[in-house]
Amino acid sequence: MSQRKVRSTLWVLPAVIPVLLVVGGGLGAALLQSLGLMPLVGRPALTLDAYSALGGDLWSSLALTLAVATVSTLLATFIGLAAASTVLSGNRTVLIAAALTLAVPHLIGAAAMGLLLADSGLLPRVFGLTDGGWSELVGGRWWIAVALEYAWKESAFVAIVVAGTLATRVAGFDETAATLGAGRWARFRLVTLPLLRPALAASAAITFTYTVGSYEVARILGRPYPEPLSVMAIRLFTSIDLAARPQAAAAAMVAAALAIVVAAVALNYLRRSAVWK
Amino acid sequence: MFSRSHTRRPRKYAFAALVVAASVGLVLSSCAAPSSDAPVAEELSWSEIEQQAQGKTVSLWMYGGDEQGNTYVDNVLTPAAAAAGVTLRRVPVESTTDAVNRILSERQAGVTDGEVDLVWVNGANFGTGQQAGAWLCNWTQHLPNMEYTDPEDPLLSSDFGTPVNNCEAPWHKAQFTLVYNSAAIADPPRTLDEVFDWAEANPGRFTYPAPPDFTGSVFVREALVNQSGGVDKVPAQFDQDTYDSLAPAVFDRLNALAPSLWRGGTTYPQSSSELDDLYAGGQVDMTMTYGPATLPQLVADGTYPPETRILTLDEGTVGNASFLAIPSTSGESAAAQVVANIALSPEQQLAKSEPDVWGQFTVLDTSRLTPEVRAQFEALPASPVLPPYEELSANAHPELAAGWVTPLDEGWRRSVLAGQ
Repeated sequence: MSQRKVRSTLWVLPAVIPVLLVVGGGLGAALLQSLGLMPLVGRPALTLDAYSALGGDLWSSLALTLAVATVSTLLATFIGLAAASTVLSGNRTVLIAAALTLAVPHLIGAAAMGLLLADSGLLPRVFGLTDGGWSELVGGRWWIAVALEYAWKESAFVAIVVAGTLATRVAGFDETAATLGAGRWARFRLVTLPLLRPALAASAAITFTYTVGSYEVARILGRPYPEPLSVMAIRLFTSIDLAARPQAAAAAMVAAALAIVVAAVALNYLRRSAVWK
Repeated sequence: MFSRSHTRRPRKYAFAALVVAASVGLVLSSCAAPSSDAPVAEELSWSEIEQQAQGKTVSLWMYGGDEQGNTYVDNVLTPAAAAAGVTLRRVPVESTTDAVNRILSERQAGVTDGEVDLVWVNGANFGTGQQAGAWLCNWTQHLPNMEYTDPEDPLLSSDFGTPVNNCEAPWHKAQFTLVYNSAAIADPPRTLDEVFDWAEANPGRFTYPAPPDFTGSVFVREALVNQSGGVDKVPAQFDQDTYDSLAPAVFDRLNALAPSLWRGGTTYPQSSSELDDLYAGGQVDMTMTYGPATLPQLVADGTYPPETRILTLDEGTVGNASFLAIPSTSGESAAAQVVANIALSPEQQLAKSEPDVWGQFTVLDTSRLTPEVRAQFEALPASPVLPPYEELSANAHPELAAGWVTPLDEGWRRSVLAGQ
């Protein structure tokens, strides 16, 4: 190992060790619990009962989690990209709005969405639709309020990340292309988007994994069945029946596996992209 | 995926972390459980107990989310304890389970002068503690103020199916109640069957929270009692055969009801506060609560419609009592007994019943009180919203054992919620 490599390794250790201890310890304990090796009552025994006890609900929860996370991530990425593009024209309003949005906790955001969109919320009151006619946005079949809340909060995050990239070198390339006679759409397609791709991929991956693991938004704005994996895990974890703990860990493990797979795919894509280097 | 040089090191750490986590887990799970025999209070005369209590400090651990309750303890109960020579220190907890977990770990560690001297507790938390011998027993029968309670009162002798056995002193009563908007329902139902009929005649105006929400869970147990033909037909203690014979009828009835519920029964409010919001917003005409004492305030501040009234059912509803228990790890059990006795005194029970103090129903049997005190109880400000406890608790039946809760909640989830 070269001198430089040793030094760079030492520099990252303070960041890496706590993460590995906390995340590894937590995931390890959850894995052991889900496999019946850390029971609260009784003797440890290796078993997959916790996973099979969840049965079909596990699949419907997995599908729902994937669907909500995918839709939210796509919306957040598009809105965030569109918002960040205003930076090129020198307008700062959108970025200030995004910075303010970032400061709002998801819990508050979800409660606000509920007050705005629920059947007797602010919007139906404004339109005089509290006695019916208002779509089931909160607690409805399509989880619309949940996806909207994630899209709103996470688009701000995407916009800030993307605007940071835009502010660096993209502006220069963009001007060069303009002097060479490229139209607005051609510049976006051939210059801006390829340069933004890594930033977009990274922020989309972070948004997706966050959405998979988040609990409070789905709990406040969703419905009790089917439920996302995170809601399922916490419902089982807080059950008065201690025998449900392994099942809670099993649901959490499936959610963690989903997040890890997506993060790995995104990291792999980023490592290959030329801009990253 | 990753090139190899990048994975080797993290994997080693992850493995180490796994080993650490596993060994911690094994250490935790191999701790010897303490004996589950409940320690028994010393046999002392009441005057000896009062003497021992002088100058002592009692830590009362209680749920801290009830502002009125906190204010009552700080401004009314604490001065009364101070007059008896005991300093009362209120320790707010997010949930009573925190206090029980603390006592259980103190017991595992063999602590005899623990942090917790008194806990506001009932139901599953009391039962869990009883299984582990966490509560001091055989002391409440010595409290002088117990003479004002009715020894035959089922709510005071059994706590969610766990026999009280003098291990906790009664503090106040709660009653499960249905609440309706009399502006929308001119001729209110009188029984649970009629409530179901009313819901079917008025589609979309009724629903109940999805268990495991506490209130939704109680509602399903009420439906079980109703469908089984009365409280005598459901044994308090859980057994699988009884469940298998009784539960299907309940789920069939609730499934038949579902299409007439809010949103066609395709979904349910996730919590009682969600149902309360629907009621406050005029989406439904009924809600339900285990704490009707809060209703006058909700009507007064305009949250609920002014025509909000309580629906008393002819067959009665579930009632329960909550208690003060002394942990077996407390070193101040004498002083804690003095506080529990003061909390049970007619003066304190009366003050606590005042709607603008805490509005909690008394555990005392008012017929055993002096005529003056009884008159004061009867003179408590009446509210058009909230009838007196006698009316509210007519034909009240005690809670089923905690063993019923999970099977019913899970059964409802599979048969009714997922069935839609």
